[in-house]
Amino acid sequence: MAYRIGVDIGGTFTDFCVFNAATNALHSFKVLSTPDKPGSEVMEGLRQIEARFGVKPKDVEYFTHGTTVGVNTVIQRKGIKLCLITTENFADVLELARLKMPDPYHLFSRRPVPLVTRDRVLTVRERIAADGSVEEPIDEANVRAALAEARAMGAEGIVVALIHAYRNAAHEQKIKEIAQRQAPELPVYLSSEVWPIIREYERTVTTVINGYVQPRVAHYLGSLQKALAEMGVPAEPLVTKSNGGVMSAELGKTQCVQMVLSGTAAGVIGASFIARQAGIRNCMSLDIGGTSADVALIIDGQPQFGTGETIGEFPIYIPSVAVSSIGAGGGSIAWVDALGVLKVGPESAGSNPGPACFGRGGTRATITDAFAICGFIGQGDLGYSQVKLDLGAAKAAIGVIASKLGLGLEETAESIIKVACSGMYMEVSKLISRTGVDPRAFSLLAFGGAGPMLACFAARDLGMPNVLVPNTPGVLSAFGGLIADIKNDFIKTVYLDLDGAAAATIRRNFAELERTAVHWLKEEQRYRGESRLVYSADMRYRGQSFEIETMLDRSWVEAGDHAKIASAFHDRHMAVYGHSDPKAAVQVINLRLVIVGTSPKPDFQRRALAAGAVTPVKSIEVYLDGKRQKVPLYRRAELKPGQTFSGPAVILQDDTTTCVPGGYAGRVDEWGNLQLDQA
Amino acid sequence: MPIDKVTLQILANHCAAATESMAYTLFRTAHSTFVKETEDFTTGLTTPEGLTFASPKDLGATWFVGLDYGDAIRMVDSYRPGDLCLTNDPYSGYACTHSPDIHLWKPIFWKDELVCYSVGHIHNTDVGGAVPASLSRTLVEVHQEGIRVPPSKLYNEGRLNDELVRVMMTNVRVPEQNWGDLKAQIAAMNTGERKVHEMIERFGIETFRQGMGDLLDYSEQQTRNLIRTIPDGDYFFADYMDEDAAGGVPCRIAITLRVKGDELVLDYTGSDPQLTSSLNMPTGGKERHILPMVGLVYVFYTLDPTILLNSGMMRPARAILPEGTVVNPKFPAAVGMRSLTCMRVQDTTFGCFARALPDRMPACPSGGGPMMNVKTTDNRTGRTVMASIDPVLGGAGGSPHADGSDGSGANSSFLKNTPVEINEVEVPVKILRYGLAQDSGGPGKHRGGLASSLEFKVFAPNTTITARNRDRSHFAAWGAGGGKASAPSVFALNPGTNHEVNLENTDIFTVEPGDVILMTCSGAGGWGDPLERPADAVLHDVKCSFISAAAALRDYGVVIVDGKVDERQTESRRAAMRKEAKPADRQAFFDYGPERSGFERIWTLANYDALTAILKTLPVNWRFFVKRKIFDAVGRMQGGERRGDGSEVRQAFDRILKEYPQLQAQAAE
Repeated sequence: MAYRIGVDIGGTFTDFCVFNAATNALHSFKVLSTPDKPGSEVMEGLRQIEARFGVKPKDVEYFTHGTTVGVNTVIQRKGIKLCLITTENFADVLELARLKMPDPYHLFSRRPVPLVTRDRVLTVRERIAADGSVEEPIDEANVRAALAEARAMGAEGIVVALIHAYRNAAHEQKIKEIAQRQAPELPVYLSSEVWPIIREYERTVTTVINGYVQPRVAHYLGSLQKALAEMGVPAEPLVTKSNGGVMSAELGKTQCVQMVLSGTAAGVIGASFIARQAGIRNCMSLDIGGTSADVALIIDGQPQFGTGETIGEFPIYIPSVAVSSIGAGGGSIAWVDALGVLKVGPESAGSNPGPACFGRGGTRATITDAFAICGFIGQGDLGYSQVKLDLGAAKAAIGVIASKLGLGLEETAESIIKVACSGMYMEVSKLISRTGVDPRAFSLLAFGGAGPMLACFAARDLGMPNVLVPNTPGVLSAFGGLIADIKNDFIKTVYLDLDGAAAATIRRNFAELERTAVHWLKEEQRYRGESRLVYSADMRYRGQSFEIETMLDRSWVEAGDHAKIASAFHDRHMAVYGHSDPKAAVQVINLRLVIVGTSPKPDFQRRALAAGAVTPVKSIEVYLDGKRQKVPLYRRAELKPGQTFSGPAVILQDDTTTCVPGGYAGRVDEWGNLQLDQA
Repeated sequence: MPIDKVTLQILANHCAAATESMAYTLFRTAHSTFVKETEDFTTGLTTPEGLTFASPKDLGATWFVGLDYGDAIRMVDSYRPGDLCLTNDPYSGYACTHSPDIHLWKPIFWKDELVCYSVGHIHNTDVGGAVPASLSRTLVEVHQEGIRVPPSKLYNEGRLNDELVRVMMTNVRVPEQNWGDLKAQIAAMNTGERKVHEMIERFGIETFRQGMGDLLDYSEQQTRNLIRTIPDGDYFFADYMDEDAAGGVPCRIAITLRVKGDELVLDYTGSDPQLTSSLNMPTGGKERHILPMVGLVYVFYTLDPTILLNSGMMRPARAILPEGTVVNPKFPAAVGMRSLTCMRVQDTTFGCFARALPDRMPACPSGGGPMMNVKTTDNRTGRTVMASIDPVLGGAGGSPHADGSDGSGANSSFLKNTPVEINEVEVPVKILRYGLAQDSGGPGKHRGGLASSLEFKVFAPNTTITARNRDRSHFAAWGAGGGKASAPSVFALNPGTNHEVNLENTDIFTVEPGDVILMTCSGAGGWGDPLERPADAVLHDVKCSFISAAAALRDYGVVIVDGKVDERQTESRRAAMRKEAKPADRQAFFDYGPERSGFERIWTLANYDALTAILKTLPVNWRFFVKRKIFDAVGRMQGGERRGDGSEVRQAFDRILKEYPQLQAQAAE
């Protein structure tokens, strides 16, 4: 018997997906996370897997895992004490960032305090020119002095980020060599190694975050490896990455920055798998948890990628699945301002104390409490029997708002839901306009604990005709990790005018990237299966200050066909911005290569469609569209493919509750997904 | 009847979504790099009367919240579905404030009834005129500032007005860029229309129509509640631009803030006469024109960040803008560089509020920093390169609760810099240093934010440097609450060499290969007595190189020995400094720095009042001329003649009257 396990550790719950490769059966469940003892929830989960499904550790042949250790280290500022070495006269790179303030209307707006404060930034005399040539050689004595100073300050690690190091890494390498001789106990992180992009702030902050979390993440992964081995799990653990792929935990110990935002990315990978399987080309995934909602677009079955995602207060610039985070979740707090206007968020009760109805001491009304008052939740256990509903607490909390608004309890609760949805509408509208897509051609794929609860309301506002709720919406990130491919990104900044002369440089650099990529996959990752390479380049018109990534065909690169490369860029520019200029000069800024080693995928079978309507478990009373009404309650486990029902209805399952308003037709598709179509 | 408070919030969110979508559409489809880099554009929705009831917060310039399109809208006779109008004339309707800003508005109809307008503008890099980019401090009439289109139809019932477009594009330097950006603006207007139609379908026309007014009322009510927390009274403050024209004398902005109950007035009486340069702010004297109100928007939002950003927040306020002054010039005064004046107007507004709310407002933010533009030749390719290399910004003033942010902040918060590495790859210059300027922030219990500083070298002959909005080379950013003024701005050619040139407020000049240019804007003012700053905080600033050890000793009285605070020496040094300070300085709430204090020993309040009183009586075309004459005369007076009570100004004017008999006749009228 061979089992594959995907684990995703979140703030409140740790999710498990267990896949039996022989029977194609997929199980899921949650345990409470133990942020104080990271890793112990994994052990607890494995014990439960054995108890529940009889899966022995020795039968686990594949193990993937997403963790928040990295992100928490940044948010709680518990990383190591770093010193940063920069080129002389550029020591304020982290202080200045890119100047723009978080809240430009506010006279007191501030940028976050950098993870390396200015007193721990040291400089060395050296200079690489924009073309990579050495303008001023590095002064070794100067480097030794800087390192001595770092040591005197009690540095626990050194980040080196020199001007134009993406182009010529020699000086950064030199500093590393000297450091390894002079201070062998200090880990050294080079910007040219971590992620060698042009733009000094972006490269520096990415390297700083990598160094800041590295020892803690490495320690955590080491103890996880050890614990799994002790339990007898034969699989080498893999960790999920921000780029939607996985890599070995061993590599994760050094390439930490790649895995800090992995949970959200894995969720989108899971969502895109499910959408593709269900035959949906374009969808928006909506993952609503306790404190935030993560929205991502899946176009033509593919997640979208970007850089500049934020971790805590800081951006990082490694390739990541593009996810927009909205400050609205099940725990968002409702309040009434001085003029009697109802607001929801941005403050959140989070997971601790959480919504009032969770009975953990929360007293302020949240979105989840509003759903409880309306009667949508509380019909069964919440979160795999981990939480019991305290309706009295919810009533008290919503009551405070109700008396301020002069409305009834239920009317107030529904108002909170509507205001929350309008806030979500505003944020999603931005994303839609930023990308220029038409929401009417998109399905909404809802997951996370609170996603299916809010999905139909949000879809109605956004004009999205179809909502899809997967089988296990509460554990999609764990599922995503389970099916993610082994994947790594490589980049080379070339900054060329795209013409005949450039073609040779492009070919040469791609060949080098390819060698590095294959080495990573075969040697470092020790992968033996099938692999593929994806070529792309960041290009722009001369004079523009921003690039767009354009997919390239390997044959164009090999044939040196710059006209085809340019033409692909013009098409892409047209698609993204609505105009292009085929006569204008084109520049190639970065070459990118992605290597993908395919991981085994569950081979789910279509299930036969049964006919007919579903029988409700019972009829419950909910408050919906301004009135109390009887609606049927269905149990998700009892819904068979092919069966249909119509809204209003409530569907109950272990990890979430789906609310279906009137005017929706529901059906279960051949993969077991709930498909809700607006009439 | 007003709509209910739940629906109001939902409508507010949907309106915000509409304007954010307009902004993102514009941003995504705009052609020029300038738009993408500086985000100098706006989008919004207005009532049929032209009052903005919704504006975006994510993207765009922060200056035009609550812009009133009413007069511009009314200059077009009638509206039909499919119409789209345009203006960039700062003297027609006073929505547009200088010619590069092309404003559009589109009437939105529902069943043949005009419901509202989608509106917005883009700052175009060039709209023709005497100089590239259309703006220069040296221009003296608006005709030199490019083609001007009065409110006109760009689309007539869906048909493009080709002739208008042809005339515009014939008169500008890079027509394809203007046209590309115009298309992005049109797309944004149409997005606004679609979103409004969706809202009407969702909320119903009655709720939507009522809701627009309710959103204005909501913001108004929030603002009135806020004004009630400000003590009633008159609060006067004045600040200066270094020069009223290239190589000129200072130009004063004076505001008396009058707060009464839940309303307030910004009275600009006492501000300088209109200028023979392009620093004038075209307001038409409209009492709720946005330019004299920008500072208010910042203050209101800072005091209550939940305030809805729309025209309603202007209703409890009005401005008094005497005609023929720098804040209400008569046609055809040039107005292109009104942004420099508007920055100083904001500083002055902050000063009034610092008097009114000493425990809630910050000291003066940094100023005088330009957008550095370079036009040079790439020696490798022979290609001409024209590029904007960085905005040189500075930080926020210290506040009653914290230090000011460094490098950018307060009202200089929405611009981004360009990475050093991108600049060096794109432009054939070498950046020698880019960072924070040590000791530039005003000392205080809460230190003023530091300036940023940029030093670079050029390699080709005939390289042109443009540094628009240069100021604060003389008059620094003031400190408040006992905090000290900042260091002034520094603009130097070949600093530290024997051929160093102090460029002061020069905004355009030519340099040669090997020349080095250093630009540091002013820092921001400090807040609170520097001697009360914890010695550890001073030490940390020294370790961070934000201040020098010399400044720690001089400004803060902190003695640092071997990287540690010497507590005993510090204590005695601070005690000595307290003793030495003049009682007047100790009690002063504001500190203006040595240059301004020196200037005001001659130009006392009474003298300046006398000047303003005299100029007010003169025909507008004489005012600037006479101001300069009086400045000359007073400047030449000897110590004994100076009384500072206004009499020397009147004396000087009497002599001028004798010299110019034709003026005597005019003045008598």
